[in-house]
Amino acid sequence: MMSKRIWAGASAMTVVLLLGACGGGGPGGSGGAFSGDKLVLAVLNDQSGVYKDASGPNSVKAVKMAVADYQKKYGDKAVVKKIEVTSTDHQNKPDIANTKASELYERGGADVILDVPTSSAALAVANQAKTHKKLFLDVSAATTALTGAQCNKYTFQWAYNTYLLATGTGTTVTQSGGKKWNIIFPDYEFGQNMTKSFTTAITKAGGTVQGTIPTPFPNENFATFLTKAGSTNPDVIGTMHAGGDLINLVKQFNESGLKEKGVELAVGLMVINDIHSLGVEQFAGTLFTDPWYWNMDAEARAWADRFLAETGNRPSFEHAGNYSAALQYLEAVQEAGTDDADAVVAKLEGKKVNDVFLRNGEIRAKDHSVVHDANLARVKKPADVKEPWDYEEIVTKIPAAKGFPPAEASGCSMKP
Amino acid sequence: MTQSAITEAPVAGPDVPVARRSPRLRWILLAVGLVAALALPWFVYPPVAMDIVAMALFAIALDILLGYTGLLSFGHAAFWGSSAYVTALIATHYGVPFPVAVLGGAVFAMILALPIGYVSVRRSGIYFAMVTLAFAQMVYFIGYQWSDLTGGENGLQGVPRSFFGIELVETESFYFYYAALPILLFGMWAAWRIVHSPFGRVLVSIRDNSQRARALGYEVEKYKVIAFVLSAGLTGLAGGVFAISHGFVALTELHWTTSGDVVLMTVLGGIGTLWGGAVGAFLTVMLADYLASSGFHGIDLVTGSVFVIVVLLFRRGVWGTVRHRWMVHRQRRLSSRR
Repeated sequence: MMSKRIWAGASAMTVVLLLGACGGGGPGGSGGAFSGDKLVLAVLNDQSGVYKDASGPNSVKAVKMAVADYQKKYGDKAVVKKIEVTSTDHQNKPDIANTKASELYERGGADVILDVPTSSAALAVANQAKTHKKLFLDVSAATTALTGAQCNKYTFQWAYNTYLLATGTGTTVTQSGGKKWNIIFPDYEFGQNMTKSFTTAITKAGGTVQGTIPTPFPNENFATFLTKAGSTNPDVIGTMHAGGDLINLVKQFNESGLKEKGVELAVGLMVINDIHSLGVEQFAGTLFTDPWYWNMDAEARAWADRFLAETGNRPSFEHAGNYSAALQYLEAVQEAGTDDADAVVAKLEGKKVNDVFLRNGEIRAKDHSVVHDANLARVKKPADVKEPWDYEEIVTKIPAAKGFPPAEASGCSMKP
Repeated sequence: MTQSAITEAPVAGPDVPVARRSPRLRWILLAVGLVAALALPWFVYPPVAMDIVAMALFAIALDILLGYTGLLSFGHAAFWGSSAYVTALIATHYGVPFPVAVLGGAVFAMILALPIGYVSVRRSGIYFAMVTLAFAQMVYFIGYQWSDLTGGENGLQGVPRSFFGIELVETESFYFYYAALPILLFGMWAAWRIVHSPFGRVLVSIRDNSQRARALGYEVEKYKVIAFVLSAGLTGLAGGVFAISHGFVALTELHWTTSGDVVLMTVLGGIGTLWGGAVGAFLTVMLADYLASSGFHGIDLVTGSVFVIVVLLFRRGVWGTVRHRWMVHRQRRLSSRR
């Protein structure tokens, strides 16, 4: 008797819950121009691993600086008063980035996700942006797939891509005599894409790529890969590693004796923090592409001074890129008067921009690549360093039209 | 008969389910479990709720081997992960409704389990664990190297969630939960049926004394292989649903740490309790989610400590301990009545 009653009660509850689930459940919409009456900028990047220094927590501070500047500029005229900046660690793993991005959009109320280093992780976030129809402004990931085969309406690539790095570094090094290359790359989207872009650029400049050697990512010990790369007597070993991996590799290259044999090391992607942590003497004379350098002109320097006061470090191009992306996003929101993603995208597309980071910048509507002038830089000799973080000498400017592939060649189609 | 079973139950340890001799309690518990599963996404962020239920089936499937057959498999990530990849590939390339893809993944996991199980069950104890781990590592490296198919480090991205064109299920994780739940509940029901069938009784007898089981005329190895394949199939169901839920498959699913995680969940909930796996999965996933969203980085440290505490203080696991206390309580009540 007793059991029957309980059983009946339980089934009744189940039915009620089922009905409820079918009827009123699920996320509800909200009225007003701003969802939740606030704007949420979510920085999703590496807070603890190999890419922490180049971007990491200081990018969150850069985004906060942009928010402060926006609020100072517009004051009472700002269309949104409450702006939040959140920070999430994706540990450079695409599956974690995928889950976190979905969570940020759904549960965290994020209007835009910023930064996202690690190209495989960035592609996962781009997919989530497309699914959730929310913005994703990528700064630190370099794969051309973001604005190529896997582009979408809600994803922008703000700072650079592998094509820019290859055209800058690959072409210049080959033309100055490094004809025979061996490329070592981390075996994930970024490394694969870099290798492809570099091979194209090197071949075009009249060089040859003898071999490409994949390594795990992230990785500590590069000795075997370096030995293998040195075994064919190349002029240049090109490393496509970045962040902590690059630092390990350069150290091991300098100890390997390859340098004495006349093998040059070309670095695919270098961020100023890499030079800072390993010391300028380890890199002296290295040519590399820097999308932005803190001491490249007075405007950049003025902002870098503010950044130094805020964080105790000079900014990398990724920090400046995050500032710029956040600022231009806020400007677009101000223009649109809403955080509705489609309206903001419409304001961003095709816009010509000049700010702290972007010189002759254009947010291309066709492939959502943000193109701008970049620099070919050389690491200074220890004797030439005049102040802390004074590591780079700008060799030449790479104009936007030359540094970025033409939009028509990107292979991007915005149609869903 | 009933009396003696209850009197003996605590001595027999966590083997004999309490509800076995008390159908009323069994139905109440089942109803409570069902209601909890249905209500979960109302209280927990739906994708996390989906993770909990998928992991729960994973842990329950492992318990068929660990708790009821006495085989500690340390390579179940191979079945979880390979089913996830196969499910994702089917869903991506053929655009079939996701339950079909999940079924394909589970079948693949069973096919994969057949040779692995055939070789592994010839050993027991630590050797069995190591052999299964070795096989799982082989599967991991195949997944890592065959990047044309699996995407390597990048993973399989943008796996579609087709469901007969019902857009709500395809886009909202809340509704997807209710679409996928029946698959997982079916898996749990199947596990329950397996364990409580005559076949399941034979497994227990093999666990307790395989020589005697052999003497009684049972082909021990054959039973073990069948249990292994069934467990892999249920694991495959869970892995497939997990892949569709995330819309993404990464190498993590094949990595040995996934095998470790599920063993942890099963032990945490209670070995040989079946439903303990669900409790363990709930606690582990919720804890990880809570710690991650509060910005704490040492998740492994905390779950590891919890594991150590549980193993040292509650050897029957959370669910096993609760059940044990309940049985002691009942026994006292019954004997005082007597």
